[in-house]
Order: sequence, then C-alpha cells, then structure tokens
Amino acid sequence: MLNSIKAIASFVLITLSGNAVAHEMTPTYPTFSKSFMAGISVTTLNIFNKRKDVSYYEIGVFDDQWEPIPFVSEYTVIPMLYLDTVSFDVYVSNLSLGSVEYICSVSQVQAGATVSSKICSRVK
Amino acid sequence: MKNLLITVALLASATTALAVDTPITGNVQTRCLITTDTNGVYGNPLPSKLSTLSADGGVVPVVRYDVTLADAYLAKITTPTSFSSSPALSDSVTWTGSTAVTKTTDAGMSVYETAKVIYGSTTQFDLTIAGSTWFSSESTAVYGVNKSFSGGSYTALILAECIAK
Repeated sequence: MLNSIKAIASFVLITLSGNAVAHEMTPTYPTFSKSFMAGISVTTLNIFNKRKDVSYYEIGVFDDQWEPIPFVSEYTVIPMLYLDTVSFDVYVSNLSLGSVEYICSVSQVQAGATVSSKICSRVK
Repeated sequence: MKNLLITVALLASATTALAVDTPITGNVQTRCLITTDTNGVYGNPLPSKLSTLSADGGVVPVVRYDVTLADAYLAKITTPTSFSSSPALSDSVTWTGSTAVTKTTDAGMSVYETAKVIYGSTTQFDLTIAGSTWFSSESTAVYGVNKSFSGGSYTALILAECIAK
C-alpha cells in the first residue's frame, strides 16, 4: 500500500509551459583585435535569450582540448531578461590568444527547467 | 513681389514632395539557435521506473536546432545521468537514454540519423545542411533493484550543445 502511494506521488513530475524557448549566440566565428590595453586582445559576441526559464548565461573560453583559458569580461555570468539581447566583450591575454578555440555560453537553468543549452563559437 | 514669393514657396514645397527611397537594411549572420520545442515529462509506469516514453505515460522532450550556414556546427545532445532535483535517494539509479532525429526541413538531413555518433550518454550530429532539425531524446531511470522511487518531484536535465566546427 505504501509503495502504491509512493508510486502515485512520484508520478508528479516537472513540466513547463509548452512555449518554444530559445538560446542564440553570434557570431559563429569571432575574431580578436587589439584592445585599448597593451598585450590584451578583445572580441565581441552577442547572446539572445528567448528562454523564460533562464535569467543567466555563463561565459567560458576554452582551448581545443576544452581546457578553460583565463579571460576577462564585464560578467562571467551574464544576467539577461527574457527576449533580451546582450553584447559582451571577452578580453584575453595575447600570451594565451593562440590557444583560444571556443567561446561558449551556457544557460543557467532554474529549478524545474528540463533542457540546458550551450552554444560555442569557434575562433579560427 | 508677392507672386515671386509664392512661386518660390511652391517650388520649395515641391522639392520636399519628391519620392525618396527609404532603405531597409539588415544583416544575416551565421548562427545556431537552440529551441526547446517540447519539455519532457517522466511517466511512472512502475514504482521503480521513470520514463519519457509515451507508452510509459511520459512526454519525450524535443529540441530544435536552427543553423543558417551549412557545415558550420555540431549538435551534441546529452541525456540525463542524474537528477538535478529529487527527493533524497538511498540507492543507485540506472540511466538509459537515446536521441534521434524526428523532423527536418530538408530531405537531405535524413543522413543525420544514420551518421550520428554516440559516446556515453551523448549523441553527436554533424549539421551539414542549413535549416532546422528536431531531435527527440528518450530518458529512463530505474531505481535500485525493484525499489520504489520516493514520492515527490524529479527533474533531470538534457544538455543541448551547438559547437562551431
């Protein structure tokens, strides 16, 4: 009996609204240029948030083995409103610029969300 | 003098009435858009089992990828291997999952399914054609050996990645 009650109770699972939600980051192939600081290069990317269930996106910079590379941006976790587009700069030391392969944004999902999205642009 | 002023005024107004081409500018960039078309729901066909299969009372999550440039992105979809939130569990959970192409905007995208690469709980698709592709992911969790899941809400995350090539 207890098992039956537990089984019925555990039937309650998460579902969100059926509205399509989306995450986009551009450009696909960003290029770095000299910044206002010597020895530091900069590139600019844009994120579009059409996910009502996501208010933050985390930025990461990686090499070709997916090892993280130090970088500076205004935010490493960008707060975003629904339907917001945010443009952000990524600063990388020229010493590690040659190793930069991917710049990624990952959705920071709230409790109840069922899909986490990650988009990576590639530095060629 | 009065006539001259009126003539000048009319000529001036006539020039402002000339048709002007108003440009509409736009910029189409290469991009990948990940859209959650359907959120998944676990059904509970047995006390020890949670499953997104419709036969088990669940709803299969569907994720759509839109790419505007052919051969520029890889889609990687990882099915859950743990709950992101759940009641306290005292035994192990066995996870199985799979991802398949369920709908495309281009007939040529049918090769995505046959050419997909599976490693661990991740399925990788090479998005070689511009357009939209819908992916469905099935997920099943079995608790212990015929143990009943505790009552409460369970959430597990699918990770949908779009990686530039």
